[in-house]
Amino acid sequence: MFGQLFISGVATGALYALTAVAVVVVFRNTRTINLAQGDFAMVGAFAALVFIKDFGLNYYVALFGAVLTCVLLGIAFERIVMRPIADSDWLTLFTATLGMYYVLHGVAGWFWGRDTKAFPVTFDPTPIEVIGGLVSQGHVINMAWAGGIGLMLFWFFRYTKQGIAMRAVTDDPDTAMLMGIPVRFIVLLTWGMAGFLAAFAGVLLAPIVYVAPEMMDEVLIKGYVAAVFGGLYSIPGAILGALMIGITENMAGGYLGSHFKTATAFVMIVVLLAFRPQGLFGIQKRREF
Amino acid sequence: MFGPVNKSSLNRGTLANITTLRQNWGLMIALFTAALAFPFLPGVEGWMASQAALIVVYIIAAQGVSILTGYTGLVTVGHGGFLAIGAYTSALLTKYFAVDLIIGIISGAIMAGVFGFLLGLVFLRLSGAFMAIGTLGFAFFVGTIVNNIPIFEGREGISLPTNRVLGMEIGDTGFLVISVIALGLTTLLIYRLVHSGVGRAFMALRDAERAAESSGVNRVKYRTLSFTISAAVTGVAGGLNAHIVNYVSAEVFADIWYSVDFLVATVVGGSAMLMGPFIGGFFIVMVPFFLEELADFSFILKGVVLIGVLILAPAGIAGVIARPFQALRAKRICPKSTGQPK
Repeated sequence: MFGQLFISGVATGALYALTAVAVVVVFRNTRTINLAQGDFAMVGAFAALVFIKDFGLNYYVALFGAVLTCVLLGIAFERIVMRPIADSDWLTLFTATLGMYYVLHGVAGWFWGRDTKAFPVTFDPTPIEVIGGLVSQGHVINMAWAGGIGLMLFWFFRYTKQGIAMRAVTDDPDTAMLMGIPVRFIVLLTWGMAGFLAAFAGVLLAPIVYVAPEMMDEVLIKGYVAAVFGGLYSIPGAILGALMIGITENMAGGYLGSHFKTATAFVMIVVLLAFRPQGLFGIQKRREF
Repeated sequence: MFGPVNKSSLNRGTLANITTLRQNWGLMIALFTAALAFPFLPGVEGWMASQAALIVVYIIAAQGVSILTGYTGLVTVGHGGFLAIGAYTSALLTKYFAVDLIIGIISGAIMAGVFGFLLGLVFLRLSGAFMAIGTLGFAFFVGTIVNNIPIFEGREGISLPTNRVLGMEIGDTGFLVISVIALGLTTLLIYRLVHSGVGRAFMALRDAERAAESSGVNRVKYRTLSFTISAAVTGVAGGLNAHIVNYVSAEVFADIWYSVDFLVATVVGGSAMLMGPFIGGFFIVMVPFFLEELADFSFILKGVVLIGVLILAPAGIAGVIARPFQALRAKRICPKSTGQPK
């Protein structure tokens, strides 16, 4: 029982991690908690649905199309909405993404309707044995994707020029600008990356939660909690937070009953914040945001 | 030396643009008289009075949020929790002890205030994004409790007897009068608060926390005080909300979107302006009401207005309306100036 719940918790957590990492990446470069992150993913899932169903494209081509759509959406959002208010205080940035949340919800409901749609690629429930627990094949595939993206991010932040520039902007945007780093472009890239991660989160979750305008609401909140858990500045912290939330809520669902599934994540975060206001891996000096 | 001064928040509601309202007592009184006279106009039906009472509830709740978010600078996404506490306190008292509507609402406010005080103590060291997620967690927590503990009767809901004030049964019209009186009292409370030393301490903590502390503002005291007052005001809204339809259920009060709606109302109207919650509350209730058939468009409209306000008028719609008054006032004080407050 324990191993079983643990493994499926990791599988759920891996998908939360995609959202949590995107929240962290955007927050540390722009001070913005992106509440539209879940809706970027929702648009990605709808785009993939349209590509597969209406255009009859292959799954991988549709995935690529969804990624492209979401990256463009992220970039457009930065250019049109976030750039004019980039110097505002924290509340303004936060509520602007909330506005985007409303707009994307409305647009999706208008174009595609409010009803839940099945995703043409079904989730494969065939069980496979992985270290002492049974996992459905679909979960294994999702974990593989999430792991692959994680490795790619590691490579990007460690070895590419843009990745290193992104980390420099995180540390100190003013100094980075003086060193000749195109900060505006890096911020644009950050939002593009948020779209990239959102597309994968949307398309991988679509077979599990089905496609609807509010499909990502709960995932977004869990991803946000996971990001805060890790301190909002640390990508490994966010991944760890996401896995912990996935595992704990699965355990709570298994042992206490499914009513307590969502609440556990919040009890955890409230207790953590009461004792460690900067999250698990937070940096004290950043508290002014 | 004293840490960062948040420059952009300075134009959100400094003393300069709040004091303009001191000249607008006439306007305020006219507004309240109009609201009180509204249900007695010919052609106004019961449902209109309930709708108006709902707007009043949103305004009061947004006023609660504006104390914490606008004046003290702590962003809250959890005031739906205080709304639920106020509503359930009042509902349970009415159901089991058949108390008066007014006593129910006051005890709802006190209960919410107590929880606000405790939450303020727990979250003493949080700010910004961490505060937002913490308060969101609180709202979820309240929702789970309301859903799962038998006395709150979860999704089944509690049906309440007819509203009674001082032994008399009142209808929708009478209820609207009670709500408007409550709104008048909370508005007066906020006005007095903002113009007192306490309000200035709140704003000092918002604009430059460390500088305020080193000038002798007790951060622990004023933060918990702000939390308490803010929660109590939202508790009043909760008590009223429970009695509009005489029915409370977890389906309504455990909904996390209440909290977000209150924040949006505060920001759209103007988070640190006395008039802000009035405009925001009206906006949030009336947009879905007019676009009932087109729910998707009401979402889009809400989002576009929110983004538009943030880009064009960071001080909220009330800030835009107040601008000519400020210019006038500045001219009166200093006739040769350009009319722009420095």
